[in-house]
Amino acid sequence: MSDRLMAPVARRIVGVAALLALGALVAVGLFVAPPDAVQGDAQRLMYLHVPAAWLAYLAFGVTALGSALYLWPRTRSAVWDRVAGASAEIGVVFTGLTLLLGSLWGRPVWGVWWAWDARLVTTAVLFFLYLGYLALRRIPAALDVRAKRCAIAALIAFVDVPIVHFSVTWWRTLHQQATVFNPELDAKIQGTMALALWLGVLAFTLLYVYLLDHRYRLEVLDEDREERELEAAIADRVQGGTPSREAVGATS
Amino acid sequence: MTDVGFVIAGWVITAVVLVGYWLSIVWRTHRAERTEQ
Repeated sequence: MSDRLMAPVARRIVGVAALLALGALVAVGLFVAPPDAVQGDAQRLMYLHVPAAWLAYLAFGVTALGSALYLWPRTRSAVWDRVAGASAEIGVVFTGLTLLLGSLWGRPVWGVWWAWDARLVTTAVLFFLYLGYLALRRIPAALDVRAKRCAIAALIAFVDVPIVHFSVTWWRTLHQQATVFNPELDAKIQGTMALALWLGVLAFTLLYVYLLDHRYRLEVLDEDREERELEAAIADRVQGGTPSREAVGATS
Repeated sequence: MTDVGFVIAGWVITAVVLVGYWLSIVWRTHRAERTEQ
């Protein structure tokens, strides 16, 4: 069983590329792109907020895909369950960042930290849905039972992703319409501002791939530990003796 | 706080969250490897 998704060379290349892209994002986003005509310097938060939101979509999309591939009998493999779990955790981190950065942008531009707006509320729901998914993954159970129940939960939670994306067109919201992926597919950003936005998307995507590989390995190690603890608990039960410390750890 | 203050806060928080998350993966992996031995 491989405990990695990428070869060491590929991992190193992606890591270095992510660092370079993040450096370029800092340079262009903070120093090269001009302040927005209406929002002023607060616009510079968008070069992080929008890529973080994109990353959340991507991460939860990968979780949904991994879950579907696990549930489909022909493609069922523990690999897909681990990819789904690893990607969901990264998605929760980036959704949290999206909410935080949006709030920091909202204070100077809207005058409030938070508004009960369709986009904001559906994003907060997304955050809590996937926190619930991560909690579900921590409930002790046989690996295949846990994988199946989590895959179903992930597919249900993913329903909120298109709701978040289309919330600004389905409802009248304070949040602005999509700048790039709007219904007309007419990007309303140009020049170095567009460059900063795309650099953010590139940097966060590369970082996601790098983090996913590392997080996947952690998923494998955690599964190994759970299996060892389960075997120790069964051995203790069969012998009828006092449970070992490792077995006690498995049930506590 | 000025607009620039919000921008600096946002970029610093992002850096702290991403580096912190990366370190948490490294630390949890290290701990799991230690218990495996």
